[in-house]
Amino acid sequence: MPDSSGASIPFEAFFAEWGKGRRFCLLHRPPGAVAGAIVYVPPFAEELNKSRRMAALAARDLARSGWVVLQVDLMGCGDSEGDLSDASWDDWKLDVRCALDWLHRQTGVLPALWGLRAGCLLAVEAARELAYVPELLFWQPVLSGKQHMQQFLRLRVAANMLENGKGAETTESLRERLLAGEEVEVAGYALPPAVFLGFEHAKLDPIPGGGKLAWFELGAAEGDELSPAARSLADGWKRAGWDVAGQRLKGTSFWQTQEIEEAPSLLAATTSSLAGVTRGH
Amino acid sequence: MRARRKLTGWGPSKASRTVDIYWGNGLNVQQELLGLLDEVLSLRGRGALMTSDSKLLGAVPELDSMAVVAVLSAMEERFGITIDDDEIEGSAFATVGSLVDFVASKLPNA
Repeated sequence: MPDSSGASIPFEAFFAEWGKGRRFCLLHRPPGAVAGAIVYVPPFAEELNKSRRMAALAARDLARSGWVVLQVDLMGCGDSEGDLSDASWDDWKLDVRCALDWLHRQTGVLPALWGLRAGCLLAVEAARELAYVPELLFWQPVLSGKQHMQQFLRLRVAANMLENGKGAETTESLRERLLAGEEVEVAGYALPPAVFLGFEHAKLDPIPGGGKLAWFELGAAEGDELSPAARSLADGWKRAGWDVAGQRLKGTSFWQTQEIEEAPSLLAATTSSLAGVTRGH
Repeated sequence: MRARRKLTGWGPSKASRTVDIYWGNGLNVQQELLGLLDEVLSLRGRGALMTSDSKLLGAVPELDSMAVVAVLSAMEERFGITIDDDEIEGSAFATVGSLVDFVASKLPNA
């Protein structure tokens, strides 16, 4: 792929064997010395597909700055083995832990964790169970797994949404079926209770101990600070002893746009946020 | 955080009242919402031209049922609110003003 900066960053695509079945992985390595290592935890469903380009661009830019970047498709998602209906939140947490462990063994460095949207929730929940406290990078985190699932279920009832005489299905009736152990099909995805329940219980609460957290949001406006809801949660992380750098940048919500879009401001801010210091040793 | 409603009645009809709703540090709900609509519906700047009287549902072709789902999600995330199924009615999406009122009614009052 042509590269305007001059140095072309090679990447490897491969299948890793851990947990149940094979996981599709993308690894970007720096051309020179390794300054750090980071595992990317992707978003859920269509957001995964729409954000692949931005994730690849960021991985390339980070690698150019000395980072080894591992992206992994979770069980039943993207190009990894298995169906979504066979996956569970616990399987996904295991995927994240295996990815961190693999990258640690590859580089000798304790990896940081980078999440986009629901990937941030999963990253935090997986990080709670680690023996070390990783450096964290959030891209537009989903603040409530429960809300994320309700929004997802809405896709199925969208056509009935505005009718005053409600259709047979509501997000609540779909939720009840999931709580009763039934899989529900939404927008072509077979959502199993084991994934749904994991989302419902997932919290973006701070991990004890403190560390470094870079928190980015995107919006149409020029404004600098995180949105009010995010700011409130970020303050909680600060009170728990974390060094939190939160910023809202001007850019498009590339994880949900009709066309595949890029947010250059986010790439630049991410690279400069993680640049320089050697970490993870 | 305090939600402060300032109602300025002027002109012959109720539809021309101006409602400025602020939350906390002065965030203007209408301004934030117009930015959100512009982005979610890819209006390419048309959102900035809208007023509280501007019609939405039925008047903005981009606003189909799937777009409504996207707007609801974006509003929940941007404003930190939760919208239940039974709160969703066509009338909330009638105009920019009605949607601003809907969001404002869900914001916390300190």
